[in-house]
Amino acid sequence: MPKKVMFLLDKSDDEKNTLDALRSTLGLSVANHYAYSVVMNHTLGKFDDYNAENLEWIRDMEGEVYSTEQANVDTNTLTATTLEEVGQKLREMDVIVPYGN
Amino acid sequence: MKILNVYRSEPSETTKKLVEIVSEGRDSDSFDLNTDSPDYDALVDKVMAADQTICWW
Amino acid sequence: MANLGIFVTSSKNMAHVMGVTKAAKAKGNDVKVFFTWKGTLLAKDPQFPELCNIAEVAICADSYKKMGYDPENDIPEGLNEKQMSTQAKHGYIIDDCEKYMTL
Repeated sequence: MPKKVMFLLDKSDDEKNTLDALRSTLGLSVANHYAYSVVMNHTLGKFDDYNAENLEWIRDMEGEVYSTEQANVDTNTLTATTLEEVGQKLREMDVIVPYGN
Repeated sequence: MKILNVYRSEPSETTKKLVEIVSEGRDSDSFDLNTDSPDYDALVDKVMAADQTICWW
Repeated sequence: MANLGIFVTSSKNMAHVMGVTKAAKAKGNDVKVFFTWKGTLLAKDPQFPELCNIAEVAICADSYKKMGYDPENDIPEGLNEKQMSTQAKHGYIIDDCEKYMTL
């Protein structure tokens, strides 16, 4: 049975941590779960084609990638959210993954 | 729904806020992994008793 | 008794992975562990083969490669080539395990 999974991606000293977590998010989408990520407290450079396609694919699979940082919305079209909204979304999740660090 | 909040390090302000929202109105417990000798037996008991475990950073 | 799934994304938590796995096994639970991204660095930890003996373990081969290892010719001690896996394994753990942790 599909589950709702949220990856929490907090500030990191290496952008690759976040980008690979998006790959993990996509992996769960492909495995028939509803997979979401939220990028918090850090900004990402402009996605290359690979990561832009991962984002598109996550959305095609009814997932989403949110960010609390407007720069990520502007640069990479992530969906804007607030920390309060993230908390509310977490209440609906079956699985919560504070990723890395 | 019973939530278990596990802390792998000292919780940040972001973590504290999210824990507050996620746990509001729910039965919740916590476990501090950020010690020299965590009691893993006790942690596993809590994980098994919880409906959802969140291992914060 | 339950299936406990552990998703390992950090290279700092081998002691926790071992401690939780041993405690869960001692209480009669099955444990499935999947290592991804920097977590795959722990495949070189001296305790990793012991973990493979007491739990069902797989790692993300793509992550392992990104960490600088050869997933075809340098399979970690304790694993076989089928356990050099993909993110789909994480999906399987979420499907299969009543209890779940991230470390």
